[in-house]
Amino acid sequence: MTVAKPILLAEDNPRDAELALAAMEAEHISDKVVLCRDGAEVLDYLYCRGQFKSRLRGNPAVVFLDLKMPKVNGLEVLRTIKADVNLRPIPVVMLTSSREERDLADSYALGANAYVVKPVEFHKFLSAVKELGTFWGIINEPPPESCRSAQ
Amino acid sequence: MESASNHPSQTPRLAAERPKSSASGVGSSVFSLGSVAWFHRLTIEQRVLAGFSLVFVGILIVSAISYHNTSILLTNRELDGRSHDLIQLLNNIDAAMSEAEDAHRRYLVTGEASYLEIYKKVVKQKPTFTTYLSDLIRESPEQQQRVGLLDRMMDRQLSAESKATTQFQEGGFRAVKKMAFEGAGKRELGVIHQVITEMDVHERQAVGRRVVESAAETRNTIVLLGIGALLQLVLLASVYYLIRHDITERRRVAGELQRRGELLEAANKELESFSYSVSHDLRAPLRHIDGYASLLRKSVEHSLNDKAARYLQTISDSAKQMGQLIDDLLVFSRMGRQEMLRTAVNLDQLIKSILSDLRLDLQGRAISWTIAALPEVQGDPAMLRQVFMNLIANAVKFTSTRSIATIEIGVKHPSSTEIVLFVRDNGVGFDMQYAPKLFGVFQRLHRADEFEGTGIGLANVRRIVHRHGGRTWAEGMPDKGATFYVLLPARRRD
Repeated sequence: MTVAKPILLAEDNPRDAELALAAMEAEHISDKVVLCRDGAEVLDYLYCRGQFKSRLRGNPAVVFLDLKMPKVNGLEVLRTIKADVNLRPIPVVMLTSSREERDLADSYALGANAYVVKPVEFHKFLSAVKELGTFWGIINEPPPESCRSAQ
Repeated sequence: MESASNHPSQTPRLAAERPKSSASGVGSSVFSLGSVAWFHRLTIEQRVLAGFSLVFVGILIVSAISYHNTSILLTNRELDGRSHDLIQLLNNIDAAMSEAEDAHRRYLVTGEASYLEIYKKVVKQKPTFTTYLSDLIRESPEQQQRVGLLDRMMDRQLSAESKATTQFQEGGFRAVKKMAFEGAGKRELGVIHQVITEMDVHERQAVGRRVVESAAETRNTIVLLGIGALLQLVLLASVYYLIRHDITERRRVAGELQRRGELLEAANKELESFSYSVSHDLRAPLRHIDGYASLLRKSVEHSLNDKAARYLQTISDSAKQMGQLIDDLLVFSRMGRQEMLRTAVNLDQLIKSILSDLRLDLQGRAISWTIAALPEVQGDPAMLRQVFMNLIANAVKFTSTRSIATIEIGVKHPSSTEIVLFVRDNGVGFDMQYAPKLFGVFQRLHRADEFEGTGIGLANVRRIVHRHGGRTWAEGMPDKGATFYVLLPARRRD
């Protein structure tokens, strides 16, 4: 069952996205990754609307959220997810370049499940993304869909 | 971005306002006559004090003159009263002497004793008259002269008349017939009349003069009080103007300060968003450089020669180094903005915990430590920790070429208000001519291949120590070691 659950990666920078995908490819989880280019797309995916209207129903295993994104930024997406009874159980991992205390505090205050600073060094970035993908995509047991059926 | 372009245009406008407003302040001043340049050198407190002193002196002068004038008026009134008494007395004396003359003649003619009694009564009254007279005219020499004459004449009249009555009692009417018709002191009485008239006229003239004088004094007093009040009003108005002007000026300065504070706050906010962008946006391309270089290496791994591999490695290293520089710069900028705690910091424990953190770096090193008992200081524990972490790490780093490194951490107390802490090593040292550069941002005295580091450590040390109200300096000699000093204000005993 967990195999079917996708990993949602919100990343507006195509290079960062490519690097992240390259990292996950090494762990053979890249095919589970759904890439969103901004916050609005993330919300479209979660609410099954726009280009994701006809997608398979069900929440992703985890959402990797960049903070700085066009249209709707990471914190706003996070706020929306944690304010929605059906989306709240989804684990959200902030994956960002910012080490600012304010961002950390804001993210956790809004209910982020983890906060990871993208390391500049590629091998560190690689291992961080690998570990995140493995942990949240494979090791971690995602919340059941019961909330959704209760709707 | 937008507010950044606003700053340069606002600053010169602020600068231009200043001289204009102060010039208008001088121009509109009541005292701007040129000759009172010294006045402008006085502080506002001195000016106000001077103003109030002038008012006080003015009140004193007006009061003194008013008192003087009023006492003259009072004296005049007293003198007037005395003059009236004198005139009254003179009238009485005149009447009494006439009565004496009249009574003794009647007695001489009729021999009636009742007339003699009337006469004798006047004789009895005479010394009282004299006493009163000399009392009333004691301040006027002219009148005294007249009174002397009057007194003599009265005596002579009365004694002549007494003699006549005695003759009458001895020789009867015949002996005094002539005197009975003419009066024994007729001539003296004439003189008395004349003297009394003169005195009366003199006294009335004096009264008249005094009336004129009093009127003049009263008028003067009123005029003086008027002018004094007017002058004091003007002075008080000036003082009021000064105080008001000062208050307005202070308000303006306060407003200006507040505006500048707001500008500063805006600038700070901007700096914050700038460093936020730096941390976020500048790191991304670095990550990409390093990432793609790695990916490239991986995809061409088999056909890569040593040179190409080194090039790729250099690309990665440079990206990492720049990442480190950015991180250091961010820490440095945060160090200047961060809220500072002020608590007691136990330096002994601080040094111990730093050394335990450095354990890994110290492995395989022979270092002889000399650590003095250190005092407690007042400050931000995390910041002070960074200071000593940097200094000790530096000492460890720059003694790495020594077979046996010696590092000394000590304290000096140059005065009761200051504490000097120092970290001394026997490392590579430095040339004193570069000492001023040591604490600069990204300043390095050694080549990157000798000792690694970005050159931010001592800049952080200086910034933190400055924020604690202290100073930093260093002494060293090439190849003879270095000593870094940190002066901190002593802990307040409160």
